Amino acid sequence: MGRYLLHRLWQSALTLVLASIVVFIGVRALPGDPATAMAGEEADPAAIAAVRAQLGLDDPLPVQYFKFVGHALTGDFGKSVRTGTPVREMIGATLPVTMQLAVFAMLVAVLIGVLAGVVAAVFRGRWPEWGANGFSLFALSVPTFWLGILAVLYLSVQLRWFPASGYVSPFDQPLRGIYYLTLPAVILGLTHAAVVQRQTRSSMVETLTADFVRTARAKGLGRAAVIFRYGLRNSLIVVTTIVGLQLGGLIAGAVVTERIFSLPGIGKLTLDSVFTRDYPVIQAVVLVITAAYIVINLLVDFLYTVIDPRLRVSGRTR
Amino acid sequence: MSPRSLLPLLAGLAVLTLTACVPVQHASARGEHRDDFGTPVGNRTIQRGGDLVMGLSNEPDKLDPTTSSSLYTRYVMTTICEKLYDIDDTSNVVPQLATALPAVSPDGLTVTIPVRTGIVFADGTPFDAPAVATSLRRHFELKTSQRKSEMGPISRIDAPDKSHVVLHYKQPFAPITAALADRAGMIMSPAAIAEEGDDFGDHPVCVGPFKFVKRVPQTEIDVERDPLYYDAKDVHLDTITYRIMTDANIRAANLRSGDIQVADTISPQDVDALAQDPDLKVLQAPSLGYQSVTFNTGNVDGVGKPTKHIDKPLANDPRIRLAFSLALDRQTLVDTVFNNWFDPACSPIAPKTPYSSPASDACPPFDPVKSRQLLKEAGVPIPFPISLQVTNTQDQLRYAQALQASVAEGGFAVQIVPVEYSTLLDVQKRGTFDALMLGWSGRIDPDANTARFLSTGSGGNYGGFSSSTLDNLLTAATRTIDPKQRAALYGQAVQLIQQQNPIVYTYRLRNLTVQSTRVTGIQTYADAVVRLGKAAFVGSKEG
Repeated sequence: MGRYLLHRLWQSALTLVLASIVVFIGVRALPGDPATAMAGEEADPAAIAAVRAQLGLDDPLPVQYFKFVGHALTGDFGKSVRTGTPVREMIGATLPVTMQLAVFAMLVAVLIGVLAGVVAAVFRGRWPEWGANGFSLFALSVPTFWLGILAVLYLSVQLRWFPASGYVSPFDQPLRGIYYLTLPAVILGLTHAAVVQRQTRSSMVETLTADFVRTARAKGLGRAAVIFRYGLRNSLIVVTTIVGLQLGGLIAGAVVTERIFSLPGIGKLTLDSVFTRDYPVIQAVVLVITAAYIVINLLVDFLYTVIDPRLRVSGRTR
Repeated sequence: MSPRSLLPLLAGLAVLTLTACVPVQHASARGEHRDDFGTPVGNRTIQRGGDLVMGLSNEPDKLDPTTSSSLYTRYVMTTICEKLYDIDDTSNVVPQLATALPAVSPDGLTVTIPVRTGIVFADGTPFDAPAVATSLRRHFELKTSQRKSEMGPISRIDAPDKSHVVLHYKQPFAPITAALADRAGMIMSPAAIAEEGDDFGDHPVCVGPFKFVKRVPQTEIDVERDPLYYDAKDVHLDTITYRIMTDANIRAANLRSGDIQVADTISPQDVDALAQDPDLKVLQAPSLGYQSVTFNTGNVDGVGKPTKHIDKPLANDPRIRLAFSLALDRQTLVDTVFNNWFDPACSPIAPKTPYSSPASDACPPFDPVKSRQLLKEAGVPIPFPISLQVTNTQDQLRYAQALQASVAEGGFAVQIVPVEYSTLLDVQKRGTFDALMLGWSGRIDPDANTARFLSTGSGGNYGGFSSSTLDNLLTAATRTIDPKQRAALYGQAVQLIQQQNPIVYTYRLRNLTVQSTRVTGIQTYADAVVRLGKAAFVGSKEG
């Protein structure tokens, strides 16, 4: 177990180094010059040259790379080309927003997904199952951006139930914070709820038709007890794994959601930085997201080894 | 969520789709869009205090008058950083921190500016002529300054007493007053400059109705009322939040939901629907800038490098470019593409400004027959192919497609190449294009709308155009102080431009700002800057 973890850690470090090279080259492969992009239509050639020198864009690429990595290791990602704000501060301000959104969305996904999954499994072949399956088909096929725009138009503009944009930290004002995050989190969570629903349903169907359940029922165990004690508990194992794997996807989905709801998260930061060719910000953000993804995967793997023995036990009973 | 609970959502969608299909009723017929610059608060009953939220269409860059180069920075700066001069609704320059227009010596080499005294910066330090001189000198001292060229050939800046600043010139430079009505004229606190240095933009301190509080990058900028401001009795709001919302649809949705009270740069596609909302009001001002098609006539090694011969008829033969200009049905294009919210443009000088003249307002007529004839004379194949690079935004692509259809009649086969904005800026700089479509936001002084893009060797002459006659005209115009004579010179320049057509001017947008009727006192002029400093929430109406 210790060796396995060590191996995984080493793998992760290597991935991170490779990612940093890819990011560095990728950013430079973007057409367009950051100094020009910053100056925009009003560019003054002398000022552009000064900015270029300030950014160290005159150095050869390998020198630029090692400088970038060297600074990054000490947590210094430089300053935004556009606004002059330290990139570390920008990430510090945006990452928590995205994490709150992702966690909230995941809660939504698990709540709706597990509930719909249980309903679909228990009421197999009857209308509640069609409803639940219909929902997941809908949520999976409809693009998040469309659903988001629709939600803004209908729930915010027409009915004025939710704010159309904005963000309040739930740590400052818990209720308002949650209120502002609700719509984006539900929109972002729906697609993932669909995935959770499908997994929950198939896993529960499998469990509920298993021999040991039939035995349990024959011994006179109640329906509710069977559903919750056997079915749900088994499917939760599956859900845990999926939640971990989907967190990465949530960050990608957050880019779109944050844009629609003008949420000041890392997704919006990424997108805006790409459009303005803000090299230091793009590099840092992509690196941080990659690192986050790697850490999540590590955690999932670790959790898996914890969960694994139990799975093997239930596998043997089959 | 069950299928049943989806019903209202789907019904809502149906309603939205249907309303979107209803033909838009124009509040006014073609050409009658009336300028509305907004009105000062005046005698209206207002509510004191409150937080006004503005949806900003783009993120400002550094909040530093010396190094900033983004148009949107001016939106925020206008509330925290007053200028020596400002413009009014007729695009005339008026004093703001100065007390009168500058006095120019007969030889044009000395410009004396009388400035206010007895007022203070937001940090409590006194505002006077030495402070103004310190601020202006910074534009020359800072390496990353974007202001140097705007201020012209200055040799020295003096403050002989507390209330006068004197600029000494090597050559007369007429555009200076206009420059001081822009970022160069924003006066920074010398104490803050000394303390922050290059980082002034992180905590800008000036004279203004509001003072800077904080900035959350890519998200918002907060300012609060400055009690030290000299005209504080006319400042009504407590705070203003500038929230960055780059997507036009999202700005429109937020206006309608009431989450924001003002938004700039509304698309002509959205403005009709917003104009019909009784809770919203459209402010509109004509632009000082223009949209255009630039032809590459000599930019081979990148802008700023000596121009070279390009062996292509489009670059060499002015007849082809004239044909292109004649094949453009400018009026029909703006009417159809922009629901007639924008105006056709044929020159870099905006009409109804102090430097416009009959010569600069003249427009070549739409004449596809003559266009084909010119192409025949030039001996090129018809249809003549042109590759046109365009930014991949909705409005620009729509215009490009309509243009493609229009010039086809005149014998051109335009191939549209959509390019992302930052990339197009790069293409323009490198000179890797035959023709490209981009715009210029415009400046008060016509020099910044002409010489910058057309004089030989200028850093903004992306097409690599070179004409000594035009160079001489434009130089003469900057050295002439009398506005009437300058207008005549720009008229001549426009005539020459319309023969050579290195840039074909297509349309002039209107600055469309939408505000909630719950607020009053918001103003915007031709420089596109939305002024919120003296705005207030309306009192009588419920909030």
